[in-house]
Amino acid sequence: MDLDQNAVLRRYATAVDAAHGELTRLDRHSGDGDFGDNLRAGLRAAAARHDRTGGPAFAVLGEVFLDEVGGTSGPLFGLLFTEIARALAADPGAFASGAAAGLGAIRRVGEAEIGDRTLVDALAPAVDALHGPRPFAAAARAAADGAARTAGLRARRGRASYLGDRALGAADPGAAGIALLFWAVASVAEPDDDVPPPF
Amino acid sequence: MATDRTTPGGPFLPADGDPVPPALRGFARAHAALVELRDDPPHLLARDRAPARRVGLVSGGGSGHEPLHAGFLGRGMLDAVAPGKVFASPHNRQVLAASRAAAGPDGVLHVVKNYTGDRINFGIAAERLRLAGIASRRVLVDDDVATDSADTATGRRGTAATVVVEKLLGGAADAGLGLDELADLGARVAAASRSLAVASRAQTSPHTGRPAFDLEPGEIEYGVGIHGERAARSVPRPPTADLVARMLDAVTAALPDGPGDVLVVVNGLGGTTPLELYGLYDLVAGDLDRRGLTVADALVGTFVPALDMAGFSLTLTRLRPEWRPWWDAPAVTPAFPRANGAA
Repeated sequence: MDLDQNAVLRRYATAVDAAHGELTRLDRHSGDGDFGDNLRAGLRAAAARHDRTGGPAFAVLGEVFLDEVGGTSGPLFGLLFTEIARALAADPGAFASGAAAGLGAIRRVGEAEIGDRTLVDALAPAVDALHGPRPFAAAARAAADGAARTAGLRARRGRASYLGDRALGAADPGAAGIALLFWAVASVAEPDDDVPPPF
Repeated sequence: MATDRTTPGGPFLPADGDPVPPALRGFARAHAALVELRDDPPHLLARDRAPARRVGLVSGGGSGHEPLHAGFLGRGMLDAVAPGKVFASPHNRQVLAASRAAAGPDGVLHVVKNYTGDRINFGIAAERLRLAGIASRRVLVDDDVATDSADTATGRRGTAATVVVEKLLGGAADAGLGLDELADLGARVAAASRSLAVASRAQTSPHTGRPAFDLEPGEIEYGVGIHGERAARSVPRPPTADLVARMLDAVTAALPDGPGDVLVVVNGLGGTTPLELYGLYDLVAGDLDRRGLTVADALVGTFVPALDMAGFSLTLTRLRPEWRPWWDAPAVTPAFPRANGAA
């Protein structure tokens, strides 16, 4: 089945709007507090650009997040969107291989391992889950579980690594942003599974 | 707080806005024969490159470290640089634009100082270059002994050894080495280099016109980086000869085994005069002599400052004999000293 990319973009933007306060709270706990702002601004800019230009939504997301979104995590999201866009352009059923390529790029750039308390802790299990039955719902659940687990991890990468144990107790905001993405994909591609929004 | 224009001792910066754009424009005007400034996003290019060069050399990083990075643009050193805001990494778009403009038939080599923001932004640019079909590799400079700790995943910071890496890579690139050969060379030079820095006064904050942090009388910051942050510790200030000896103890202990010939960089952090730096080099050269190390060549001056911090860094690189021609090769840039030959 071909993924409705436009619907994913709108659903993701709506979900991040709704979770903006929680994302900000999480980033105030472990970062510099602007992650919710950056993610929301990037999604709004992508939706506006997509209204003007049309085309595959993941390609627009990739351009906007790589070129315009500040911080370090915004452009990392841009790499994931770009790899998904490339895969879907070649084969509309290739979401899983695109997400895997995005994970590969993010790991090369950020040099993070699973357990370092970064967005990789949500993205890697989601990519694995895309190979089973009902792949999108399974990936959404895996991403949400992975994001939730980061609350118990001590950071080895990123700004939270300077905080030591003080970052414990709240999920990594980047991982939460990834969980929201996979929720948006699942709610569009497999709506009858009715996965609840993770944040 | 008064504006920086009226604060006693305040820097001569624009009273409002970002000081980097006017400085980039002034730099490009002052060195118009050598470099070109391009906008949207901002990056700088060398006008001239050796015909045999197959790989574009690209560096960049935060501003406030002048003459690094743009001062080393030109024949024999860098092809393009991406300047960030003060003490902040350039955006990946800037690195991408600089890389596209500089790429040779064999791609681009990124010279990156080890700071998280620089690693990530150069890394994202490298991914985008890969998608565009342009080969790239990275040399990571991580020379700062003060941050050599097994407790974190971040590793040693990159500081003044960057100049040595860029000079040797520039000479080698002009000789026609390929991307993988240059990346391997850069890694070997970085691995053969160690630095340590101290400061007796913080840099002036561009926002307040006052020192960014205060030191107790009689103390120095031991182990500062180049982004204006405090060191891990303040120590009582010893006589300068003892301070130099202590720093060289730490640097030589951390230096990997290799040839006894060393390149030396005595680098000012922005608020240290040539009178002081040459006096420091006299102490350094005498001390290295007693340790049985031979000075192959020395750079003495302000190459990698932290705005106007009063302090200096010492860098040693074990110079392999086969690297010597690349060190001696001409470098026609705004800031690399052309006439060498130290003792």
